[in-house]
Amino acid sequence: MDHLKIAATDRSPDVDFDFEAGVFSLKGESYPEDASTVFGPIFAALDRFFSSADIRELRFDFDLIYFNSSSAKALMNMFQMMENAAGRGTKVVVNWHYAADDETMKEFGEDFSEDLENVTFNLVPSSSAA
Amino acid sequence: MTKGVGVSAMLARDYREFKSILDTRGVIFSFSGYLSEGILYSLGDALRHKMALEDTDLTTVKKVFSVFIEQAQNIIRYSAEKVQGNLGKAIELSSGMVTIGTDGDKFFIVCANTMLNEDVPKLKARLEQLAGMDKDAIKAYYKEQLREPPEENSRGATIGLIEIARRASEPIQFDFDPVGDKQQFFCLKVSI
Repeated sequence: MDHLKIAATDRSPDVDFDFEAGVFSLKGESYPEDASTVFGPIFAALDRFFSSADIRELRFDFDLIYFNSSSAKALMNMFQMMENAAGRGTKVVVNWHYAADDETMKEFGEDFSEDLENVTFNLVPSSSAA
Repeated sequence: MTKGVGVSAMLARDYREFKSILDTRGVIFSFSGYLSEGILYSLGDALRHKMALEDTDLTTVKKVFSVFIEQAQNIIRYSAEKVQGNLGKAIELSSGMVTIGTDGDKFFIVCANTMLNEDVPKLKARLEQLAGMDKDAIKAYYKEQLREPPEENSRGATIGLIEIARRASEPIQFDFDPVGDKQQFFCLKVSI
């Protein structure tokens, strides 16, 4: 599948999905008026990718500063897609990056990880404050 | 013919009084009128800079910003006072008011907009439900709603209000005031 690259805007994250390498990254902020404009293309690409046969190991890096509640719902959707793939035998690792003094982002990481049994979810604090 | 420049005796006093009302209420900024996503971004950006300059801790900055965004997006989505049109691209502007200020060591965010009578009971029920919940119950409810498919016609209202209640450090306050016989002025105040 083609590399999915979407540049960040003021209110949407940088998307960099390298399907070939199995490395995915979502970086920045997400508070568009309509979350489906940001996450629609992401879901479509992931759907196609997960339905293809030979997936071994995947890594997702989330480095988000802020997202609104409708983006949170979309992220939850993404994690459920990953969990389903992991349940079918794909090794999925999520690295949830957040500034060490940002309790909100840490708590979001903890909330999302609670629902995941087959995905390896790492909370990765970084020392530099935003 | 009108003159280009004129001196109006009451102009400065008038607006100074207007501003001093805002100042005495601790208002950092207040926006009233048609809100767009672009205005929301710019106000949010100014808010973050203002708080960063005052060394507000990061978690508080994130909470205030989050409540501001959810409230402003609720106005954009739900205000009964809207103009729509097409100026090369589709444009929708919703009218409302967003006010952010400080009261002692707390930040407050107030949003207000008019809404249709028929939409009031549902919103009121949601807010009363949230107002009756403690922090743990709100968190559990948030997580439950994260997993739910979106409600029809809701455009994400439920989870947005729970997010607001979750970030508040005091119970959220809300009120409705009738405007004519078809609309109500809705007001929501959140302290952080």
